[in-house]
Amino acid sequence: MLEIKNLHARIGDREILKGLTLTVKPGEVHAIMGPNGAGKSTLSYILAGKEDYEVTEGEVLLNGASILDLEPNERSVAGLFLAFQYPIEIPGVATMTFLKAALNSHRKAKGEGELTTPEFMKLVKGVAEKLNITSDMLKRPVNVGFSGGEKKRAEIMQMALLQPSICILDETDSGLDIDALKVVSEGVNALRSPDRAFVVITHYQRLLDHIVPDIVHVLSDGRIVRTGGPELALDLEKNGYAAYVANAAA
Amino acid sequence: MVATPVRTPAEQALAARYPAERTSLPGTADVIAIRDAAFGGVEKSGLPHRRVEDWKYTDLRARLKTFPPAAGSGDVARILIAAPAVEGDKARRLVIANGRYRPELSDLEDLEHGLSVFSLATALEAGDATAIAALKLDDAIASNTAVALNTAFMTDGLVIAVADGAEIGRPVELVHIAEGEPAASTAVRHLVTVGKGARLTLIETIESLDTVAHHSNIMTMIEVGEGAKVDHIRLQLEPDEAVSMTSLVAKIGREANFDTFNAALGAGLARAQIFAEFVGRDAQAGFRGITMLSGRRHADTTLSLIHGAENCQSRELYKAVIDGEARSAFAGRIAVPAHAQKTDARMMTASLLLSEEAEADAKPELEIFADDVQCGHGATCGAIDEDLLFYLLSRGIPKAEAESMLILAFLGEAIDEIQNQAVHDALIHRVEGWLKTRAA
Repeated sequence: MLEIKNLHARIGDREILKGLTLTVKPGEVHAIMGPNGAGKSTLSYILAGKEDYEVTEGEVLLNGASILDLEPNERSVAGLFLAFQYPIEIPGVATMTFLKAALNSHRKAKGEGELTTPEFMKLVKGVAEKLNITSDMLKRPVNVGFSGGEKKRAEIMQMALLQPSICILDETDSGLDIDALKVVSEGVNALRSPDRAFVVITHYQRLLDHIVPDIVHVLSDGRIVRTGGPELALDLEKNGYAAYVANAAA
Repeated sequence: MVATPVRTPAEQALAARYPAERTSLPGTADVIAIRDAAFGGVEKSGLPHRRVEDWKYTDLRARLKTFPPAAGSGDVARILIAAPAVEGDKARRLVIANGRYRPELSDLEDLEHGLSVFSLATALEAGDATAIAALKLDDAIASNTAVALNTAFMTDGLVIAVADGAEIGRPVELVHIAEGEPAASTAVRHLVTVGKGARLTLIETIESLDTVAHHSNIMTMIEVGEGAKVDHIRLQLEPDEAVSMTSLVAKIGREANFDTFNAALGAGLARAQIFAEFVGRDAQAGFRGITMLSGRRHADTTLSLIHGAENCQSRELYKAVIDGEARSAFAGRIAVPAHAQKTDARMMTASLLLSEEAEADAKPELEIFADDVQCGHGATCGAIDEDLLFYLLSRGIPKAEAESMLILAFLGEAIDEIQNQAVHDALIHRVEGWLKTRAA
């Protein structure tokens, strides 16, 4: 489903990814853990197509096709979704207008017609309800005035609406209290399916208590330095990243 | 030795036109004297250039290539079938075609009690003392080139009066239409007085049915009486070939409420001037507008506000979206004399540059002589925020559509202040049209 092969990327003169390789199969949940500065957020932005980064080597395939030359919106309609660590507030753009534009772009790409307003409203309300997103939140501009938890729930709502095949969750647990963490995790778990995969990027093991991964990777200094099962996350929680940082420095 | 400046073709055309037309323009000898004085000022100084501070960003001498002849009467059939710029606003449309008020094309049925509408030309011909007195302006306004040319060449306009206490439910819409070829000039003056406690929504639309270099010079003078509420909205929609000048003169009375909005959506060269003054205490006013520019168009908004009375509040918000090699200029001056304590004014201008060659100039000026005031100003200028754009793209929204959403959001802060829903919707429709053209 998602294949990242020997990916090198830099921002300005600074090389951040230094040969990252990762294969995610349909239905799998991968966790990527790592210390600050390991390149976790860079990886998520590069996958989503942010322009600030330059890929110097390697490739990224989504369902067998390279996505590195695609615009961010083309990657989205191809099935990639990034849940932002810091969802952006967009004053003046109504949440419903935004959701409708996003949904219709996806439908158009699939050759489907636009939803009618009642169909759209029904769809959004159904998804929003499960994530405790109130109609008041839906009336506001995109993410404006949302608390940290509300923003993360709104990200999962967008994910549920767009039905991506590969979901990248960038530190979705940051800024969440226990209750919000549960709501968000339940939202993610509800989307788990045999033909959808997740890459969960996180510092902490606690998110992985709720979204249980199949495979855990340690990212350090721009590379995957260790891969294991869920027990690896527990080990990291206990012993920290010191060993991997030291390895990388050596 | 006195240097004689070289006259530009536009100045030469002006100098040839005025003597030939002065006695055939409407008005008694008193009016001709006022016209002569106004034209004399322009002739003496020539058209203003960039070293004249008020025209620093809009060098009229360089930009005004011609000054076309006076407009003919126009083809009534074409004017009659022209689609209204604003649909569904139930407004009382008063048509001013090629500089002349056309009562036969206007909606004068069931005129509300307390509302009167007359032709300025008729009033001036009849030697109407009130109308003639209204032509006598403060020097600072009278000497402004666009105003002086309007005074010299005005052919007609409307004298609108709302009686004390009258609440005019239907908006009054002044529909300015230029019709015909070749290019022609029009100068129109409106005198609007709104009595104590009265209410009026005044809409102005300015259009041309032909894509030629018409020049329009429209001046609207509004007196807002004590405790009155006036909402003024102008949609300036002329084609790129046109030259458009508007001047709004507003005197705002005690406890009155005045809002004005200008949408500068058309003309290759556009200048919107506002001369406003609080003449009574405890009044409120809002000055807002949007400018949308592409190609090589140039639009200038120049606001001069005298916060001349105690405890008055004003809000100024002007937003410009500039694409191509276009240029937008905003100059906003707020003067607070020593006696105008408790003044509260906040002026903001923001420009969104959509191309490398686009240019925005902003010049806020505050002159404050009172010591107990709140006056703020801000100016921003920038491109579309990359982070916002990336977020929208990352959800599958194509770039052109995402940019349009962000541009509309940028303008929305100003547009959403328009109280009249039909005009608001008509403007949004125009803005969306502009954005579609840009995205195509």
